[in-house]
Amino acid sequence: MTDIATIPIGTQGTEPAAKQERSFLSSLGRSAKGLTGLFLIMLVVACALFARQIVPYDHAQQVIEWRYAPTAWQAGGSTRNLLGGDNMGRDIFSRTIMGAQISVQVALIVVSIALVIGSVLGALAGYFGGWIDTLIMRAVDFQLAFPFLLLALIFMAVLGPGFATLVMALSFALWINFARIVRSETMRIRKLDYVDAAITMGVSQLRIIATHVLPNVLPAVLVMATLDIALVIISEASLSFLGLGVQPPTASWGVMIAEGRDFLYDQPWIVIAPGIAVLISSVGINLFGDFLRDYFDPRLERM
Amino acid sequence: MLKLLVSRFFYACVIILGVVLVVSSLVKLVPGDPVDVIAAGNPGMSVADMDRLRERMGLTRSIPEQFASYLGHAVQGDMGTSIRQGVPVTKLIAERLPATAELAFWALVLAFIFAIPLGIATALKRGSWLDYTGTFIAVLGVSTPGFLLAVLMILWFSIELRWLPASGYRGSALLAVGKAVVEGKFSVFWNAFRYFILPAISLAFVLIAVNARVIRSAMLEVLQQDFITFATAKGVPRLRIVLRHALRNALLPVVTLAGLQMGALLSGTVVIETVFAWPGIGRLAVDSIHVRDYPIIQAVVLVSAVLFIVLNLTVDILYRFIDPRVRDD
Repeated sequence: MTDIATIPIGTQGTEPAAKQERSFLSSLGRSAKGLTGLFLIMLVVACALFARQIVPYDHAQQVIEWRYAPTAWQAGGSTRNLLGGDNMGRDIFSRTIMGAQISVQVALIVVSIALVIGSVLGALAGYFGGWIDTLIMRAVDFQLAFPFLLLALIFMAVLGPGFATLVMALSFALWINFARIVRSETMRIRKLDYVDAAITMGVSQLRIIATHVLPNVLPAVLVMATLDIALVIISEASLSFLGLGVQPPTASWGVMIAEGRDFLYDQPWIVIAPGIAVLISSVGINLFGDFLRDYFDPRLERM
Repeated sequence: MLKLLVSRFFYACVIILGVVLVVSSLVKLVPGDPVDVIAAGNPGMSVADMDRLRERMGLTRSIPEQFASYLGHAVQGDMGTSIRQGVPVTKLIAERLPATAELAFWALVLAFIFAIPLGIATALKRGSWLDYTGTFIAVLGVSTPGFLLAVLMILWFSIELRWLPASGYRGSALLAVGKAVVEGKFSVFWNAFRYFILPAISLAFVLIAVNARVIRSAMLEVLQQDFITFATAKGVPRLRIVLRHALRNALLPVVTLAGLQMGALLSGTVVIETVFAWPGIGRLAVDSIHVRDYPIIQAVVLVSAVLFIVLNLTVDILYRFIDPRVRDD
């Protein structure tokens, strides 16, 4: 569950979109992988966006009769609690839907922060080189000495577990992914003739970065961002499962699975609903990310 | 070559010093006074106790002083004393590291046992239903959090089928291998090993998925090369070509990944050990964060980071011996 998820996905050398033969939408239409991924993502995002409208009950509401209530399709279950009730008499369906909101929130915040910081530092390092490059890449190298989760644990140890720490820890762990990819792409583009031409013509550095470098780096960054969203969702669930992330009673999928673990023998459904929710989101994003990578970089299609 | 080895070694040492700096100043980074936080959880602490604890945790010293003192002690194998248990941290780590290391070892073994045949088969039968199953497993592998797989496997294999234990650790299985072979007591090995199966699979699943994909694409590339065509033309049996000529080359990229995968394993053990009540350093770290036992957290971070750096260095050097093409870069 670390960044090895991104290993086979080295998105080096993406050429400008002009080389694409098919348009994005028609490629998507032909790809079972892309469509399935997009469908699952939209399902999760819809749950997150309209969570308040979808849930039949408040996610923290406790009703004694709902304790250990089985799912609707099991003997003794009713449509009152579609996915059953948990050990504290809360409606699992409502909690699972609210969990989507937490997951999507954390993923979007973390990836946005990591993307902005990592891309800016990566672009600076790749474009200017010299001591700026050395400084930034040494920091990246140093950070790579820590396994992904260990880095998060250091944050938890220093700042104490919680939502804010979780977001900081994961953003800090992920910025290097963006920095490395943007740096190498920037260095490649920087050497191209048309950039030299622009420099000769007296175009300002900032303008070159904004109009020539960034648009060409974008596909690689998009692919990385998509795949990292899956990584964040998995990490958030794992850390919350350990009690180090989102704190109860907030309905995070990781927290729900941790709480339900003690009741695996008799009430396995407490764990299954949030478990399937985690799988749906991460499988969806990885499928779509795979499709994006194939689309932007057909050379990697054989993977 | 020697020059490269020396420079790599030197570089690793610098990074390790940096890690020690971060680890030794960790308690100072805690907002407010960590001793107040600890005291809040222990109403029995007197003011004198708190002062002693501040002294012991190095809160009274500056960061450079703290760094020098921590490094000096750590080199001698002294990483402080646990605040809660009053036991030397080095002892705690030494007791628990073998369980973590062996778990990681079996996970790696499983990863290769499954990834190699899967990678070869999906490359040879490209585009078949087998290949699609491989793709499916690959996506599932990177998408399934280890703890979820662990919980689901406990549900199925321990609770439904009652085949394997749901948690616990009954000593080393590696050490029992000797007994099983020499004295013919296979049951001794099995009694220890069955506790390893579920946690090791939980750790290995993602590695199986990633390695199988990497082997597959490397195999596809190697099989197109001239020397394979030549061997086929010469009449070398297909099986021999695949296993002797192609696989040996296709395994190279996996070796490159091995260092990074150690990081994945170290991260994974933190979660998996908690699920299976495994007495390793990962669970030690999580438990210590909950009770704010800083010396233990510092030691686990230091030991894991140093292990990771040393393993990466080893892989890096080994790779140069295995693949002569990368020797002079």
